[in-house]
Amino acid sequence: MREASVTPSRVLVYATVWLIAAVYLIPFVVVLLNSLRSAEEIAQTSMIGWPKQWAWSNYANAWGQFCIAQTCSGIKPYMLNSALVTIPATIISTLLGAVAGFAISLWRFRGDRWIFGIIAIGIFLPQQMRLLPWTVVLRDMGLTNTLTGLVMIHCIQGMSFTTLFCRNYYTAIPQELIKAARIDGAGFFRTFWRIILPLSPPILIVTAIWQFTHIWNEFLYGVTFTTGQQQPVTAALIALTAAVADIPQYGVQNAAVIIAALPTLLVYLFGGRYFVRGLTAGSVK
Amino acid sequence: MSRAAPAGTETTTVARRLSDALRRLPEHVVIWVPLLVTAAHIVTFSVWTIWVSFTPSTLMPVSGWVGLRNYNAILSTRNWQTAFDNIFLFGGTFVVLSAAIGLFLAILLDQRIRGENVLRSIFLYPLALSFVVTGTVWSWLLNPGLGVQKFVNVLGWTTFRFDWLLDKDKAIWTIVIAAIWQSAGFAMALFLAGLRSVDGDLLKAAQIDGAGPVRIYRRIIIPSLWPILITVVVIQLQFAITTFDLVRALTGGGPGIATMLPALVVYDFMFQRGHIGRGAAAAVLMLLILLSVLLPYWAWRYVQSRRVANA
Amino acid sequence: MTKMSRRKMLAGTAGVIGAPSIALAQAKPRLTIISQWSAGSDGAAITALGKKFEEKGGTWQHSPVPGFTTDMMNKLRAQIIAGDPPACSQLKGPEIAAWSKIAPTRGLDEIVAAAGYEKAVAPDLAKLHKPEGKWVALPIQIYSTNMLFLSKRAMDMAKAEKAPTTWAEFNALAEKMKAAGVAHPIGNGGTRADDGQKFEAVFAGISPTAYRAAAMNLDDKALKGPETKAAFAQLRKIAGWMDPNTAAQHFSTNLKRFVAGEMGMMLQGGWAQGVLLNAGFKLDDFIIAPGPSDNGKPVFTLNADAFIFWQSKNAELQAGQKLMAELVMDPAIQTAFSQTTGSIPVRTDVDLSGPGWSDGQRLTAKLLKDAVAGNQAVLSLAHNMAQQNGITAGMIDVITEFVKNKDVTPDQAVERLAKAVDTNR
Repeated sequence: MREASVTPSRVLVYATVWLIAAVYLIPFVVVLLNSLRSAEEIAQTSMIGWPKQWAWSNYANAWGQFCIAQTCSGIKPYMLNSALVTIPATIISTLLGAVAGFAISLWRFRGDRWIFGIIAIGIFLPQQMRLLPWTVVLRDMGLTNTLTGLVMIHCIQGMSFTTLFCRNYYTAIPQELIKAARIDGAGFFRTFWRIILPLSPPILIVTAIWQFTHIWNEFLYGVTFTTGQQQPVTAALIALTAAVADIPQYGVQNAAVIIAALPTLLVYLFGGRYFVRGLTAGSVK
Repeated sequence: MSRAAPAGTETTTVARRLSDALRRLPEHVVIWVPLLVTAAHIVTFSVWTIWVSFTPSTLMPVSGWVGLRNYNAILSTRNWQTAFDNIFLFGGTFVVLSAAIGLFLAILLDQRIRGENVLRSIFLYPLALSFVVTGTVWSWLLNPGLGVQKFVNVLGWTTFRFDWLLDKDKAIWTIVIAAIWQSAGFAMALFLAGLRSVDGDLLKAAQIDGAGPVRIYRRIIIPSLWPILITVVVIQLQFAITTFDLVRALTGGGPGIATMLPALVVYDFMFQRGHIGRGAAAAVLMLLILLSVLLPYWAWRYVQSRRVANA
Repeated sequence: MTKMSRRKMLAGTAGVIGAPSIALAQAKPRLTIISQWSAGSDGAAITALGKKFEEKGGTWQHSPVPGFTTDMMNKLRAQIIAGDPPACSQLKGPEIAAWSKIAPTRGLDEIVAAAGYEKAVAPDLAKLHKPEGKWVALPIQIYSTNMLFLSKRAMDMAKAEKAPTTWAEFNALAEKMKAAGVAHPIGNGGTRADDGQKFEAVFAGISPTAYRAAAMNLDDKALKGPETKAAFAQLRKIAGWMDPNTAAQHFSTNLKRFVAGEMGMMLQGGWAQGVLLNAGFKLDDFIIAPGPSDNGKPVFTLNADAFIFWQSKNAELQAGQKLMAELVMDPAIQTAFSQTTGSIPVRTDVDLSGPGWSDGQRLTAKLLKDAVAGNQAVLSLAHNMAQQNGITAGMIDVITEFVKNKDVTPDQAVERLAKAVDTNR
């Protein structure tokens, strides 16, 4: 909406945004540098510092070598477990949230406010509080120690967030659009597919980012409701600092952290292209 | 539900209504089943927790009735008293600041700047890292002997002090800093999604009318962000209330018990201390605090909407 | 356990009911076990134990639960609620008695008697593993939590040779170090357990009898007694010598400064030796000494890891439990375990003169023997050996706040400690 010429105000904008970005990056730089230092070096110098010897082996170690119990395969298999839970749970909960958000905000039905109120309360229930009830639910459904059980938990709990995001985004869409579609005889699904979805990419990306990162980084349920070889990557990350008579393996752990964060970072970068203005133009008229 | 049927069908027969309902069955299933399952889990889990808070449960949930004993026990601990004060200090500051910073970043990124994709990822990446690990890294950065203070001291400003982490009265602000860093980027993404959903034609029209950028933001864009702002505040509020891993890794609730938060108290009593009944009582108290914030807001919204409807 | 093996388990149950008891002896031993020992030397030790189990013809199904002890307990609770507890799980201290009330355990009396194990274990320790007089759990290794680590460089700076044996000597040495330019005579971590550990080392060192009455038996008079107050007063001195920067830090954060002589002494568990060596420091960088004891006789604050055995109707698992119990009591197994982790064996009759042991371990084992003989071996509060977790945590709240907040006086701390015990009882 403004032309991109070099003006003092634009210089200021660039300077500000990159300055903040630099501050934001500091903890990442610490993690990155530590991922290239050996555990001994970290213990013998300082927790924050420049690598004296570049310990590239940390990455190979983190990816495929370090041992958890008898299994010496790094975080590789645990990454797969996390993906098997995170990807389906993210897709299902995001889509369900979009549909529910649309139904509540634009399609409207009796009791929509009430049910939305209850679901919105759900985001405030701390995970710790839900741990025991979920244990009982999983037992009764015969899903104890299964990845399916975890996917189910994340879909149901995630609905609160995804519905909230989508519903509040959709309330900005004029009601007239839906009325017009209804008069044209479009049903629920057609309206959703033809009118709402084309308007949705930014919020779907935001919702998917939220779901993906939170499920991927979730530890409490992952470690309680799975066993041994099914555990998620967060459990493998923690294992590296837990031994009593060892120095914490910060080097390998931080390398593992960076590897484990890659899928999420890719989602951010890849999703970026859907962050464009003016989606409404064209699809409306 | 069948009331949602199109208008002008006063003469419908039962059969027609039935076939209509059948035709719309898939839609009802898709709308209602997920909503009801989710709502049911929230209601039953909450009711269950309330029930447990009145039982003598220790290592396992058991039945029985102890009245308000668990509540009295929790309320008399210094941990809960500290956590109660902290949640208002931390929650209030964090929600306002992170929303403000998120909006600021979103507006900056909305200036058609180059490298938006990279910058957006930079502001979002804290979400991608395991909280347990970033909490540890922040505990080093905020440690006067290791991090920021030492760095500035080494640069030559030797009297510079930044030791909030060790000060029982200021340690809570270190959690605010780390929490803003962790989640302001998400507020930015939500705001950006909202900014980008503003109708491009509307902006063009405003520009043609000669409105300047500040005016466009104030008059057109920011007002349209209202629902997004609600989302941001609600999400940050939930972040504040459920913050757990970050604090455990950053301060461990310390120095002493100075940075206790309700979520830590809940977990601590339920699982670490083997007092499930007391932990449940803490959880219920936590939800009561939340309701004490939300109910006035809902009432206000209700009055507002009535006023609009009557106007 | 997966759904599959659960079905298998049900099949196993049917087998037991149908078959005569002789079939039990012939079942192939299998063990489902959960522990928090996932990686590092802990992981290596339990993996080696598993290898032995397999060598004896068993099937070893170990599921480590990485993270805090609480995470492992959550896992155990979830398994019990699901009606499917592991055959064996890591659990320690008074929690053994507490948990054995919520799910049926496997009695081990016969196996323990057959091995003649009881007389080889310190009596206070044995008691923890036999709630209501029956063995249901077995300890595997012991750590001392009140060892004194002295920085060689700091000792040189203070021109000191001898490790202090009483708290008065300890204080004198700290003052000397301070005067000689050691920035912080006491170095340590700042976690809750670290603070608790300093308190118990001081308290037990001042009077093991008072410590036993107050911290272990929760005697109200002892809790409010002069020794408790003296312990807090000594802890205040120690807090003053510490670097406040250790707040919430793992003690390994400051190892470099300890070795460099910026920090003088650490009150740490015996495991700190392994941590120092694993971090690449040398044995002559530091001195290990017993924690100071005012009555001159060695005091040992004891921390032990153990396995509890859960009842199972499956013949394979029952056979596995028997094999596991026998292995855990075996001196050779305990030797291998402790040599990997840096602890000492539970059995007081293991010879530590061999080359696989370090001087630190030999010292610890001797201390334990002498302390048991002098009735001065007590159970660690900070490591959940003296009390159930709820009471421990309530007491540590008071201690950690006392360490971090100089405005709290020893008198107030004594009051608060007694109150914390009361409300958490």
